[in-house]
Amino acid sequence: MPGGGRCPDCGSTELVEDSHYSQNQLVCSDCGCVVTEGVLTTTFTDEGNLREVTYSRSTGENEQVSRSQQRGLCRVRDLCRVLQLPPTFEDTAVAYYQQAYQHSGIRAARLQKKEVLVGCCVLITCRQRNWPLTMGTICTLLYADLDVFSGTYMQMVKLLGLDVPSLCLVDLVKTYCSSFKLFEASPSVPAKYVEDKEKMLSRTLQLVELADETWLVTGRHPLPVITAATFLAWQSLRPSDRLTCSLARFCKLASVDLPYPASSRLQELLAVLLRLAEQLAWLQVLKLDKRSVVAHVGDLLQHRHMLVRKAFRDGTAEPDALDAREKELQGPGQGQGWGKEDRGDGSLDLLAGKRPASPALLLPPCMLKPPKRICPTPPVSTVTGDENISDSEIEQYLRTPQEVRDFQRAQAARQAATSVPNPP
Amino acid sequence: MDADSDVALDILITNVVCVFRTRCHLNLRKIALEGANVIYKRDVGKVLMKLRKPRITATIWSSGKIICTGATSEEEAKFGARRLARSLQKLGFQVIFTDFKVVNVLAVCNMPFEIRLPEFTKNNRPHASYEPELHPAVCYRIKSLRATLQIFSTGSITVTGPNVKAVATAVEQVYPFVFESRKEIL
Repeated sequence: MPGGGRCPDCGSTELVEDSHYSQNQLVCSDCGCVVTEGVLTTTFTDEGNLREVTYSRSTGENEQVSRSQQRGLCRVRDLCRVLQLPPTFEDTAVAYYQQAYQHSGIRAARLQKKEVLVGCCVLITCRQRNWPLTMGTICTLLYADLDVFSGTYMQMVKLLGLDVPSLCLVDLVKTYCSSFKLFEASPSVPAKYVEDKEKMLSRTLQLVELADETWLVTGRHPLPVITAATFLAWQSLRPSDRLTCSLARFCKLASVDLPYPASSRLQELLAVLLRLAEQLAWLQVLKLDKRSVVAHVGDLLQHRHMLVRKAFRDGTAEPDALDAREKELQGPGQGQGWGKEDRGDGSLDLLAGKRPASPALLLPPCMLKPPKRICPTPPVSTVTGDENISDSEIEQYLRTPQEVRDFQRAQAARQAATSVPNPP
Repeated sequence: MDADSDVALDILITNVVCVFRTRCHLNLRKIALEGANVIYKRDVGKVLMKLRKPRITATIWSSGKIICTGATSEEEAKFGARRLARSLQKLGFQVIFTDFKVVNVLAVCNMPFEIRLPEFTKNNRPHASYEPELHPAVCYRIKSLRATLQIFSTGSITVTGPNVKAVATAVEQVYPFVFESRKEIL
């Protein structure tokens, strides 16, 4: 019996807590007067205490390792084993996965993203230890789309604030070349196609280095360039027998996939070699073309540094002027500014703002191709943004009433036509 | 190195995106019926209206929020937005031109030299990100200006930022770094 309450009718202190159906009431047991009654409806805050608590908030799910995270960690280890990575890589990749999983954006992501995250962790680990692994390989192993992979990769690098070094080209060349199955004779590979691994590797490295200096590698996917360089190295080591073999056939013999851009990279590399050949006195007389230059690749690579330097300069420059310019450039004042006023003699015409059409210049391939559209220079506009707008200007954007009626009629007719089925 | 030589760089603004509010509800069906040069997208609930004089495409929602894209300067964007508001007024809506803001500016700039991207990335580690397997350009972010630059090996740079001043400042800021990593004759 609650103390302190008095019935307003009879004044008795005998108040009883009772309920009328589901409504709580405080009733006087003497006269039956209802002193107070509870509320039939509940408020939102009341109901908040009655609602079920979701699993994620009740059992400390975020502090434990969930089943999907365990699965992911398992897949990270499996992927490391498939790629035959050293054991320390596994631990690092697993640590990255756990770190990434702590962020809510990753924890609540779809399963597809979590699967791709496995590949991202392994890729970052390999990149940091200079192990050459391409995104293409990982996407093939995970059956993932490169777009999804790239999005997840960029997100992960940003979330964890990682510093990922770029792919080491030399290591990639070594790994990729070793995967070509041309180093021993077999039923599918005739004896004349078999090549020594060391010789092919060193020549391919030199060709890739040449491609790097002449703008064929920057901004492009590295693998097609390496494929083209390997093919060229292989051909040049025994040109008499191997000139008849095409790039596609070569890749098939070596049981390696041919990346689509490799053939255009090959043409670009051959063009560069032809330009270098123009600088060598004993090759100038031979009038080489893209097939015959292959036989002279060895010579060209031997002198490639000097040839590239010469090819970049204007062909009409005298040797003396060139030497003087070299000394000037390497002088204590460091490189002079590349502005137009610093050009001394005409031997460095390529410093001009827009490129002259000299064929002796080695430029990035996209600059050698003519532009698709010439952008007209925009006229100087005198718009201030706060001018008056006259009515006549606005009229052109509104339909007249007659046009509105025509439009409505046309719409109605079109609706009628689509609703009536055509006779067969 | 002499990066302050007087080379004038032409920054070409290709797109300015702005938003404004009309502070009144807009009947999209009426706009689609009585306006010329309009496209009504009923499924997403918006109307596209294209102006000719400043070449602008406006996306109009029924709540009164309007986004204008396609202008080539901030003043032009404002002019086009006001024109649009005026056309809507003529159609009979109680339009008030408020909350005009330039949201995004896209500009293109050409450097007079080629750039070594791997070297540039190595020298500018936290800001620059280069993944040749994904995209041929280096993505350089300037947090203080909220600007992003895409630097290509040909010397072409694409800048996006919140306004024209930020875009110009971003190009000025990045020029010395890009100049360091330019292609030199050996």
